[in-house]
Parts: sequence; C-alpha cells; structure tokens
Amino acid sequence: MSVTTETARWPTTAEPRPWITEDWLSVWIGLGIFALALTWLWGFDLLGWVVSTSVWIDPGQALGTFSKTYAQLGGPGALVVTYLALSAVLTAAAKALGLDARRFAAAFTVVFALAYASWMIGSYAYVAVVTPADQQKFGIGWSLKLTNEGGYVVALLVGLVIANFFPRLAEWLKEAIRPELYIKIAIVILGAFLAVTAAGRLTLATSLLWRGIAAIVEAYLIYWAVVYFIARKWFGFNREWAAPLASGISICGVSAAIAVGGAIRARPIVPVMVSSLVVIFAVVEVLILPFLAQSFLWQEPMVAGAWMGLAVKTDGAAVAGGGITESLILAKSAAQGIRYQPGWILGVTATVKVFIDIFIGIWAFVLGYIWTRYINPTHDRARVAEIWHRFPKFIIGFVLTFVVGLGVALGTPTEIGSRLPAAIGEANTFRVIFFVLTFFSIGVLSDFRRLWQEGVGKLAAVYLLSLFGFVIWVGLIISWLFFAGVTPPLAS
Amino acid sequence: MPEPNLQQELQKAPREPLLPVEKKLIGWSLGIGLALLVILLLVNHFVPASL
Repeated sequence: MSVTTETARWPTTAEPRPWITEDWLSVWIGLGIFALALTWLWGFDLLGWVVSTSVWIDPGQALGTFSKTYAQLGGPGALVVTYLALSAVLTAAAKALGLDARRFAAAFTVVFALAYASWMIGSYAYVAVVTPADQQKFGIGWSLKLTNEGGYVVALLVGLVIANFFPRLAEWLKEAIRPELYIKIAIVILGAFLAVTAAGRLTLATSLLWRGIAAIVEAYLIYWAVVYFIARKWFGFNREWAAPLASGISICGVSAAIAVGGAIRARPIVPVMVSSLVVIFAVVEVLILPFLAQSFLWQEPMVAGAWMGLAVKTDGAAVAGGGITESLILAKSAAQGIRYQPGWILGVTATVKVFIDIFIGIWAFVLGYIWTRYINPTHDRARVAEIWHRFPKFIIGFVLTFVVGLGVALGTPTEIGSRLPAAIGEANTFRVIFFVLTFFSIGVLSDFRRLWQEGVGKLAAVYLLSLFGFVIWVGLIISWLFFAGVTPPLAS
Repeated sequence: MPEPNLQQELQKAPREPLLPVEKKLIGWSLGIGLALLVILLLVNHFVPASL
C-alpha cells in the first residue's frame, strides 16, 4: 500500500542514489517527534507550540497552540512556528534525499498553506458539526456533519483540482509532493497513539492483533491469486505486467507493485504505470467507502475499520481513510447516544495495513525466486537478502513507538504514566498534520487524465473489475467474519 | 525524458499462455489461503474477542 514519488514522474537512469531512503527518514523523523513529546513525562513541554484546530464559526477562534504553556503565541503564531519547524526538518530531509532544498522549501510552503487551509475549512462548523447540541452551540441550523476530519476530504479535493485543472502548478509542487514520506512519519507516530489506546484494554487489543493475521492471508494468498488469474487469463496480460498489477491491486498498492516488479526483473515502466492507477483508484475508494461504512456499518465499527485496511490500496489512503471512517462512525454513534472511545477503529485499519506491509518483502522474494528459477531462468537470481532490502522500514518505527508507549503506559509509576496521554496527544497533533499533507499530496498525484491515455483502458479494466467486483466485497466478508460483534470500549 | 507509449508497450508484450508453474502458484496460493482462513475462523470462533 503506499504511494510513492515514483508516481509523480517517470524514472530517469542517471539520478544518483541518496545516502538515505524516505523509509528510514520517516523512521527518524517520527521517532524524533515521539521522543520530544515523551519529555512531557518529566515536565518538559518541548512541542506544545504545535498548532491545533478547533471547530469554528469565527475564524479568529479556529487556531490555537496544543499546550497552554505556549498560549501567548496565539493561533496564527502557532501556525507559523509549526510551519517553520516542519519546513526546516523536511527541507533537511529533502536535502538528504538529494533533492533541490530551495525548490522543496518553496513548494512545501505552498503545500503546507493549501493543506492546512483545507484542514481549517474542514473544521468550519457548517462542515464539521455533527450533533444538534453542537449546532445549537455554534448557532447554526444545518451542517454537512463531516466531523472535523472532513478536512482530509477537503485537502484531497483541493489536491485533485490542482492535479486535473492546474497541471503546471502540480508540476511546480512536485518536489514537496511526498505522500509516502508524510504517511510513514504519521504511521510511526500512530504507533504510540495506538499503544495508549491499547493499554486501557490490553485483552481486546491482543485479540484484534490476532485477527489481523486474516488480512495477510487474504491479501497475499487469495486476492493475489485471483487477480493474477484474471489479468493473465481473461485480459491476456503477459507475466511482466500481470504480477505487478496483481500485487498493486491486491496487496499494498504502489510499494507492492514496485517490490514485485523489481523482484521479477520487470522493466521500471511496468510498476510505475501500475502505481499511477493505484493512486487514482485509492482516491475514488477513499471518497466513497468511508461514507458507505458510516451508512451501513456504523453498528459494526471494527468491521468498518478492518474493511478500510483491506479494501483501500496505498497506506496513506487506507490509514487516513480509517481516520475518516472512525470520525464518521463515532459521530453517527454519538448521535444515537453511543459514545465509543476514539482510536480503536483507526487502530484496526492501521493494524491490518501494517500486517500486510510486513510481508511485502517476503512475497516479492517468493515471486522473484519462482520467476528467476522457473519462469525466466537467469543468473540474476532472487536472493534472500532482498527480503530485508524490500522490507518497509517504517514498520520498525511503528513497532518501536508502540512498544515504548505500551511500556511507559503499563510499566511506569502512575504519576508518570498518567502524563502519557497528554504527551502522545502532542505527538498525535503532528500525526494529524502529516495525514493532511498526505491527503493533499495524493490528490495532486491523481491526474485522472491518465485514464484517457491510450492503452490505459485495459489496465484500468482489470483494476476496476478486480477492485470493485472482488477485492472490496471479499474484504467486507472477511472483515465481517473476523470483526463482527466486536465493538470499541465505551468512552468513560 | 518522454513518457513511454503505454499502448505500444502493451502491444509489444507477447501473449504468454499460463505455464504449469503459474497454475501451481495460483492453485497453491488459493488452497493454502482458504485452508488458513478456515483455521483462523475456527480460532476466532473458539477464542472470541473480549474486552
């Protein structure tokens, strides 16, 4: 699942390899934010200046600092400081990746401004407010009831408008359109947030983890086999196209298509073309599925969360889609008088997605082994070392923050452990910002005109048939079989 | 770098019949997948999630 920068451009042959990958950078940046947030446990408030947005009717009341320690900054001040800090860190990251730092900084300024403005629009009371009590509080008679996480959808739509109507702007922004970097940083931070959520209900969290195994079986062994068969037998694709296509549709979008494309020694054009489609269809899914889940699965919140993880391809779209789904379902449940603890639905989506991601390297190796030994025998045979090479490293960061967070929650004196939710809440505010940046970036990468490019129709037909005729529904059935009847704990 | 023409790329791609090794891969994947799902469902049934 994930979205990568390769989707933004066609690869060139002469580009030097950077000394660090986006994957590792996301681990270090995520861990850095987590570590700084943890200092709260010992009374230091190093990240409290981060900007947070409340539901608003008066724009002057929209923004604020996360912590009262920095309240004197005010909302606009917090926004500027947050921008400066993220810009500095991410520009340094861009330089480490061998990008033009100045161009990145300039493009990131626009990306951040548009993405955060979208987030603010999503928090406008007429967009976000859900309950009649809140409508009364804000003095409004109606609202779209999208919750404040509707800001993700706004960011996505703004990105889509840029991609499809302002291609020159999209091209200019491309240096800072890094959805894979943004979502991986967010997922590393998410590990800590989920640890705090899980610590309160360890038994439930453990049983949900076990159920995540079903997702691995489904994605790799069932989805892949069926989609590969459809692509080869019904649509006549050759193996070089069918294997990355099946991986993109069934496993985890772009990462899987690229990993498998490399493993079977396909030409770079193949996974790159598949990746373009993955992003476009992920956008379509994320604009539809969370709302379907709210309408039909609001009484089965965990089924909805697992469904997002299984059906939406690309890490960014899936995990952020899980966030939207959680928000919509919590809102609908609250309107019915049921108040669930937040974090569980998103937690299931993230668990399912991370479990699937873990095996990308192994699956790519298995296919590489079969291809280079039996299908296209070559001296350049698949090596076991490729499993590590293709392993998504951000998962290490996710596991680290989860384990450390859980350890602090369960293994420290109450006076320290009780400060953990606030500390992680601070880091989580950055996670939300990285989610918004991801959504905006996915939108900017989704040039729907590609669908009209000659030859894409056949690829899109396989994708359309497999995704909407099989993957989504089988994902729903499996989610139902394993998660039906399991509900998040009620909020106290 | 100009974008490659996808239609030409797909037309250039030779038609390849399913090899026995591919049929085995599809069959074994589905077989193992369905068997594991049944086992997991049984585990799920006998060890239900609890708060």
